[in-house]
Amino acid sequence: MTRDPGTRLLKRKSAYLGPAVLAGLCLLVHWQSFTAWFRADDFAWLGVGLHVQDFHDLMRALFSPQAQGTIRPWSERAFFMAGFSLFGLDALPFRVVVFATQFVNLWLVMALGERLSGSRAAGFCAALLWMVHGSMVEPLGWTCVYNQVLCALFLLGALRFLVRYTETGRRRYLVAQWAAFLVGFGALELNAVYPLLAAGYTWLCARKYFRGTLPLFIPSLAYVVLHHAVAPFARSGDYAMHFTGSMLRTAGTYWTWSVGPVFLWSPFVLPSWVLPAGVALLTAGLALFLAGKLRGGGAQAALFGPLWYAVTLLPVLPLRDHVTEYYVYLPLIGICWLAGWALVESWKSRGAVRWVAVALALVYAAMAVPQVVAASQWNHRIAARVRNLVEGVAGAHELHPDKSILLEGVDTDLFWNGVLDRPFRLIGADRVYLAPGSEQAIATHSDLGEIGDYILPADVTAQALERDEVVVYDVRGSRLRNITSLYAQRPLDRKLPLRVDAGSPLEGYLMGPEWYAVDTDHRWMPRRATLRMGAPPAAGMKLYLHGQCPTALLRGGPLGVTLTVDGMALPAASIHPGESAFELAFALPADVVGRPEMQIAVEVSRTFIPPGDPRQLGLAFGVFEVR
Amino acid sequence: MTKAFRATGWLACALSVILLFAPLGCKRRKVRAQATVEEAPGLASTIHLGDPRMAAQIVSGLYGVENGAWRWSARRFAVVLRPPAGSAQKGAILRVKLTVPPVIAEREKSVTLTAAVAKSPLPPETYSKAGDYTFQRDVPANLLTGSDPVRVDFELDKALAPSDADSRELGVVVLAIGLESK
Repeated sequence: MTRDPGTRLLKRKSAYLGPAVLAGLCLLVHWQSFTAWFRADDFAWLGVGLHVQDFHDLMRALFSPQAQGTIRPWSERAFFMAGFSLFGLDALPFRVVVFATQFVNLWLVMALGERLSGSRAAGFCAALLWMVHGSMVEPLGWTCVYNQVLCALFLLGALRFLVRYTETGRRRYLVAQWAAFLVGFGALELNAVYPLLAAGYTWLCARKYFRGTLPLFIPSLAYVVLHHAVAPFARSGDYAMHFTGSMLRTAGTYWTWSVGPVFLWSPFVLPSWVLPAGVALLTAGLALFLAGKLRGGGAQAALFGPLWYAVTLLPVLPLRDHVTEYYVYLPLIGICWLAGWALVESWKSRGAVRWVAVALALVYAAMAVPQVVAASQWNHRIAARVRNLVEGVAGAHELHPDKSILLEGVDTDLFWNGVLDRPFRLIGADRVYLAPGSEQAIATHSDLGEIGDYILPADVTAQALERDEVVVYDVRGSRLRNITSLYAQRPLDRKLPLRVDAGSPLEGYLMGPEWYAVDTDHRWMPRRATLRMGAPPAAGMKLYLHGQCPTALLRGGPLGVTLTVDGMALPAASIHPGESAFELAFALPADVVGRPEMQIAVEVSRTFIPPGDPRQLGLAFGVFEVR
Repeated sequence: MTKAFRATGWLACALSVILLFAPLGCKRRKVRAQATVEEAPGLASTIHLGDPRMAAQIVSGLYGVENGAWRWSARRFAVVLRPPAGSAQKGAILRVKLTVPPVIAEREKSVTLTAAVAKSPLPPETYSKAGDYTFQRDVPANLLTGSDPVRVDFELDKALAPSDADSRELGVVVLAIGLESK
């Protein structure tokens, strides 16, 4: 090792250069992601701390299973809660954190790539190949996918500390590895595979440390058992696990999305064979390089890339019905280590091999980069529309704080990205609805939600317009436009609604005199209460009641609920202890089919009087819906 | 090498910390409220579909403005119009400026447009070639009561189904729809 200060300085500078260039390129390629606003699920996470009042609420908000039973306190709960409380709906600080994490990830990929291949250039190429891939778009451009970026940080960080431990034997690296591994469980469930990576690395590259990695399996197994006990695997729906031959098909799909562009899609119109041919060429190139390395002997490290890919992809393979582009974000690192190594080693060789490698790299870039640009632009465009909507509603709410807001002109993209997760509650505008008829312009995704839950029925709209309780805004332009007076002139269908939200002040005219006043978003009934609503247009429909039953009311056992429709008593139902959030369904009698309206009377078998409240309370509603 | 990597690690960490705390200077308001357009638009008898201010009179089935001049329709579309002066006595003329694009004409051979004013259907018209057309129909006075807005529903017998190339159902290109005095 040289002691010359000039050489040392040069080396140090070159050590900074790679990460700095990678960070700069990352910003350049993903600038549209860096400047993207929030959309869709982001709003659900931004609102996770809205109801935190005390330490118990905070613990629940941080650690209770949510959204498909996930428990990700650092990457989702704490990240969004802290970010929203500090910066509100300013997306830039969130993006800065995401990109800063990614810069560190790129450096770690480069550093580990160098350790595996023995070449700094190979490490740099690996990070570069990873960075330009389409699977990067959502983790960098959609805030709620930060869990992937943070998980990469913990996995790569832990592995980096393990490598340093095997190189130096210093215990502090071992401790740091354990710390990164254990903290990583708060980022993403995928962290549980780390012991396999650690064991794989030591087996291939530092065999004498292999036994030392075995204790890592204990926390992982404990985590899997505990997680399964708290949030069991889904048995139906998109997140159900299918341990069948479909895993091979899913693996095949992910392979094409890893070596080629995600969704095997290009913004260019290409003959259908082009992208599969590109994937085949790159697969062959990687396979030949790996085979060459193994045949030559002494290069077991080359196997670690494919091992990383398989291990980090394995947990998502049973999700047959939830194949997602960013699921290859982490596995791809392994392939990029191999590809970076192959590219640099081929470049060093003489003859045709060098140019074949360059050609394959160009094929990869030609498939990946246009897809990244197009997907980033799409994400940015949608997020900008959502921002326009949310900030416009904020402006409207400032002007009309006591009125409900009706949105006209919401289309499919805007609804699923900017309305579904109720972003308006984050700005204190709780009563924002879609105009009647909006469902005609919005494509349905029943797995994500019901559009009807967001639409104000035509009769309710007409009543609210007459009482001057609602302002109507057209969202189709660059700024929200108040069209209330014009909208009020439109002929509206005055049939009573088939869905009545008892918690909405706008629908109070449908409620009988027995009901108490609205409490925030619900309305309490005494022992008996009545309401009017639309009758079923066809036979075989049911009336669904949604609401909350206080625990105090269920202490005496099941609560009887009886219903009469136009004076006809329906078979009684009951709410059992533990069913605080209830849904009851009543088959409607054929006699009421086609009537212009029907009178509903609900009665409960007992009531209670809460401390400090003189009211006799039955159930808190909720929604009455015919469907 | 080790020192170089350590230095790089420190650089990355420092960069992360700087980036992490950089936004602390940002305003801490929950959201930036955007100004809305509050002036009340009047109801027009004729709407030019390239004019975004007219969007409020579109009830359904007409997509966003394209080239600042027109909108694609779905198979069914509807608008609200103000009856022109005197139409309650003399009736009015419903006039729709539209284009049947080549892609529709080639694929569907012909396309028939039907209109209904206040739910009363008017005679349909069939177009078998691509080109610009004006759909024009007399509207009886009894369908137009004073200044009350009237809803006009349109229906095509065929439209292009949503596809990978365009997720929208596409009918014809519409430039203007209006009720004019006789």
